[in-house]
Amino acid sequence: MTQTSLLAVAWLAPVAATILGLTTIPPLLALYFLRLRRTRRVIPSTMMWKRATQDLRANAPFQRLRFSWLLLLQLIALAMLILAIAQPQIDLGESSASRVVFLIDRSGSMNAKDAPADLTRLEEAKRLASDRLRSLHGGGLFAGPSPSVMVVAFAKDAQVLCPFTDNLAQAIEAVNAIQSTDETTTLTDAFELARAFTTVTNPDEQKASIADPPSYELFSDGRIADLDRTTLRGGERVVFHSIGKPTTANVGIAAVAAARTPDRPDEVQVFARVVNWQPQPYAGDLEVVVDGRLRAVTPKPVDVPGAQDNDLLAVRLPGETQVVFPSLALPQGGVIEVRLATHDALVADDRAAVVASPPEALRIALVGRGSFVMKSLLEGMPLKLLEVFSLDDWNGRLRDDPYAPDAFDVIVLDDAMPESIARGRYLIFHALPIGVGISSYGTKEFATPSSIRDEHPLLRYVNLDDLFVTSMTAVAAGGETDVIVEASEGPMILTLNRGPLSFVYVTFDPMESDWPFQRGFVNFFANSIAWLAAGGTAVAVEPLIPGDVAKARLPAGAKDATMLLPNGKSVAIASQDPSSISWGPLRSSGIYRINWTAPISSGGSGPSSIAYAVNMNSSVEGRADAATEVKFATERIAGVNTGASTDSSAWPWLLLIALAVLCLEWWVWLRRV
Amino acid sequence: MSRLTKVDDLIDSRLMARLDRLDVISRKIFTGKIQGERRSRRRGQSVEFADFRNYSHGDDLRFVDWNIYARLDRLFLKLFLEEEDLSMVIAIDMSQSMDGGTPNKFDYARRLAMALGYIGLVNNNRVSLFGFGAERIERLTGMRGRRRTREMGQWILSRTAEGTEGFSDAMRTIALGGQGRGVLLILSDFLYPDGYEKGLAYVAGRGFDVFALQLLAPEEMDPARHGVAGDLRLIDSETGKETEVTASTSVLTQYRASLETYVAGLRDFSVRRSITHQVVETSLDLETLLLDYLRRRGLLA
Repeated sequence: MTQTSLLAVAWLAPVAATILGLTTIPPLLALYFLRLRRTRRVIPSTMMWKRATQDLRANAPFQRLRFSWLLLLQLIALAMLILAIAQPQIDLGESSASRVVFLIDRSGSMNAKDAPADLTRLEEAKRLASDRLRSLHGGGLFAGPSPSVMVVAFAKDAQVLCPFTDNLAQAIEAVNAIQSTDETTTLTDAFELARAFTTVTNPDEQKASIADPPSYELFSDGRIADLDRTTLRGGERVVFHSIGKPTTANVGIAAVAAARTPDRPDEVQVFARVVNWQPQPYAGDLEVVVDGRLRAVTPKPVDVPGAQDNDLLAVRLPGETQVVFPSLALPQGGVIEVRLATHDALVADDRAAVVASPPEALRIALVGRGSFVMKSLLEGMPLKLLEVFSLDDWNGRLRDDPYAPDAFDVIVLDDAMPESIARGRYLIFHALPIGVGISSYGTKEFATPSSIRDEHPLLRYVNLDDLFVTSMTAVAAGGETDVIVEASEGPMILTLNRGPLSFVYVTFDPMESDWPFQRGFVNFFANSIAWLAAGGTAVAVEPLIPGDVAKARLPAGAKDATMLLPNGKSVAIASQDPSSISWGPLRSSGIYRINWTAPISSGGSGPSSIAYAVNMNSSVEGRADAATEVKFATERIAGVNTGASTDSSAWPWLLLIALAVLCLEWWVWLRRV
Repeated sequence: MSRLTKVDDLIDSRLMARLDRLDVISRKIFTGKIQGERRSRRRGQSVEFADFRNYSHGDDLRFVDWNIYARLDRLFLKLFLEEEDLSMVIAIDMSQSMDGGTPNKFDYARRLAMALGYIGLVNNNRVSLFGFGAERIERLTGMRGRRRTREMGQWILSRTAEGTEGFSDAMRTIALGGQGRGVLLILSDFLYPDGYEKGLAYVAGRGFDVFALQLLAPEEMDPARHGVAGDLRLIDSETGKETEVTASTSVLTQYRASLETYVAGLRDFSVRRSITHQVVETSLDLETLLLDYLRRRGLLA
C-alpha cells in the first residue's frame, strides 16, 4: 500500500480523503452560503421586521458567510471523518510486530554531512535508531509489549550486529558500533539475512515458512542500488526513516586512470572522469597530487553539465566530463591522487587515486648471432632477465609455445629472423621481417641518412649526422610502418605497431657501419628497448573499490607486515603465509599501504610497501540527495522524517472525535430550535 | 378564541349593560342635522336663550321679541341654543394585515366597533360604520337608536379582512362623505407600507374629533415573548412577500426599537394634528379598554 508522508504522519489513503474532502466540504459551505432552511411563519406585516433587520441580503441567493457554531462543529466533524478515511499512521510509541529488524545503511552516501547538528547521515541514523529503540522499550500509554529487535548494518553486504534480543542496551550498543564505509548499497542481502533469522523450517512441509513476519525499520537515505530487485514477502512491513536532505548536491570523481605516454615512457598522463549529480551545472578546479605533493591544477575550471532525470526509467543520469591532465614526469611511480578543489557534503568521492607502479626491470631475449656489442649493451642495462638464443633454439621454442614472445618484454633479433613474429615486441637489426608487408628489393651500399625525425623518442640524444653505412637492405615499407630515418636508398630505421606485434627495424647491420663507435648507438638501443617495453601501456594497477580485499605476495621471509589505513592507523596483518596475504574488506576509500620488513638474505635492506588505492564509486553511490520514499519491486514506501514512527492507525480515534462533535452539534442545534 | 359568528359574540349582554351608562363625548361642538341630546353652537329652537339679532325679512315672527319692540320700536329676533345630535363615524381597517395575531386583531376591531357603535346608538348619536380595504369602502351610515344595534352587529359580522390596505382613499372618502361633523374612530394597526400621514391628514383638517386606535397583537408588540425565534421566513399576510429573519437577540431588540420608533412617529404626527392616538394591544380586555383607557383619553364619559 502506498504511503504518503505529510506533517510527519503517514497517510495510507490520501487520495480517497482528498476526493471526499473536495466533494463534501464545499457543498457544506455552500449550504451555509445559501439561504438557510427557515421556518415559514405568516405574520400580519413584515414591515417592522424589514426595518429591524435590514436583512436585504436575504433576498439574494447567497449571503455572507457568518460565524456559526453549527457550521464550525459540522466542519470539525467532517474533517475528522476525512482524516479517518485517509487512514493516518501516527507514532504512538508502539509496534504491532513482535520482532523488529533495524536495517541501518552504512554505505558511502551515508557519509554525506547534511544532517542536523553537522552530523553525517550515518550518525543521524544511529541517533534516530537509538531513539527508536528506546521508544519501543519505553512503555507509555499506548505501548504494547516490547518487541525483540535485531540490528543489521548493510552496505555492499549485510552484517548482523545484534541478533534478536530484548536487551535494549545491547541493541543500542550494536547501533553505536556501526562504522561508516564508502561501499555501495545493496539491501537484498540484508533482507535475506534477516529472514534467515525469522524463517523456521517445518519438517512436515516442503518449504520453509516465515513465522511471525518481522517489522523492518529501515534507516537510509534511500539511495539503494538493488531496490528494484527487492521484494517484501507477505506480512512484512517496512518503515522507512528517510535520512538526509533531498536537496543535497554532490559532485564526485567517478574514475581515474594513469598511462605512460608512448613518446615519453617516463611521463605519465592522468585521466579523470567527473560526475555531477546535481541538476545545476558545476564548474570547479581539479588538482593532481602525487605522493602528497601538488603536481598540477587544471588551467581553468572544469565544466560539468547538470544531471538529468529520466522520467521514463525513473533514474537520474549524472552529468559527466572527462578530464585529461598534462603529462607528469613520474619515472619511479607513486600514488597519483586527483581531487576536487572544493568539497561538498559527500567528501569521500571528492578524491580518487591510482597507484602507479614503479618501472619494472625488463626481460630481454637476444636471438641470433649474439654479437659482442649488443650483448655488452644489454648486460649493461638493469634487466630482470636476459636470455640469449640461437635462431634455431628460438624457433624451436616458438614451435613449442606460440606465446613464448610474451615471456619477454623485448626480443632483440641480431641479424636473424624467426619463423614467425606474429606477436611480441622486437628490435630487429638487418634481417628482413617476414609476413608484415615489408619487401626487399636488393642491397644498397654506402648510404647516409638523408631524412631524420629528430623528435621521435627513439632518436632522443641520438646524433646520426656522422652515420655511414656500407651496406643496407633496400626495403619497400607498407602503409602501417613509420619511417624514422631514411636514406636516399630507402628507409634505414622504421617502426610498426600492429595489434600484438610491434617492432623497430634497422635495415642495416650496425656492424657494417660506424654506428657502434658512436655514443648515439647506445642511446638508440636503450631508447628502443624502453619504447618497445613500455609503449602506451598503463602504469597503474586498477584501483579497488570499497569492499574489495587487498591481496599481495610478499617476498619470502617478509615479516612484520602491517596495513596502514587511510586514517593513519596501522594494523598488524596476521597471516600464516606471508608470501600470500589478503586483508580486508577495505571499507573506506583512501590509500592503504602494506608495509613489511624484507629479509636481509634476499638482498632487501629495510621496509618495503605496496600501496592500494580504494576509490568510492561515485557513479553508483555519488547521488547524495536523500530519497523521500523507497520503491521496492512491488510497492512503494514513503519515508518518515522522524526516528520514532510506528505507524499506528489513528482512524478509530478520529471517528470517536467525529462522533463526539456530532453529538455536540446535535445538542447545539436542539438548543437553537 | 374562536372566530365571531353571531352578534352575541361581538358584545354580550353584561358588557352592554355596562356600556349603557357611557356616552360619547367630543372635545368639539358640532352641527348636527337633527336635534339631538347635546348642546350645539348652532342657534336653534331650544329653550336656552343665546342672543339677539336684527330682524330681517322672512324671519319667523314667532321669535320676534315683542317686549323690545315695545320699548325700542325696533324688531329684534331672539336666538336660542339648539340641541343637536353627534355624528359618530367608526372606520375599521379590513386589510389582510388585520387578520392576524392572537387575539385576532380584526376580531378585536370588530368587537370594539360594536361596543363603540352601541354606545353611540343608545345615546341617540348618528352612527356610521366604514370598512376599508384596498379599493373598497363598505359603509353602513345613518343609524340612530338602540333598535339598530342588531343591524349594526350583522353588518360588522359580515365584514372580512382581505387584500391590501386602502387607508388614504378611505379617509378621503370619509372626509368628503358629508357624514356631518363628529367623532371619527379609526380602528387599524396603522402598518401601512405607503404610510399613514396622507390619510390622517385628510380627516384631521375636516373638523373631526379623530381617535386613532392602533391595534397591535401581542406578538407584534414583543415577538420574543411569544415564540418568535430561530431562522424564520416571515410571510407578509397582506402582500405575500417573504422576509428572512434570524431572530437573534440583537434582531429582536432592534425590532422593538423600530416598533417604538414607528409608534412614536404616529403619536407625534397625531398630536400635531389634534388626533388622539392610542395603542391597543389586542390581549387587553375590551371592557378594560372601554371603561378605563378610553374614558381616561376623553372619548367616553
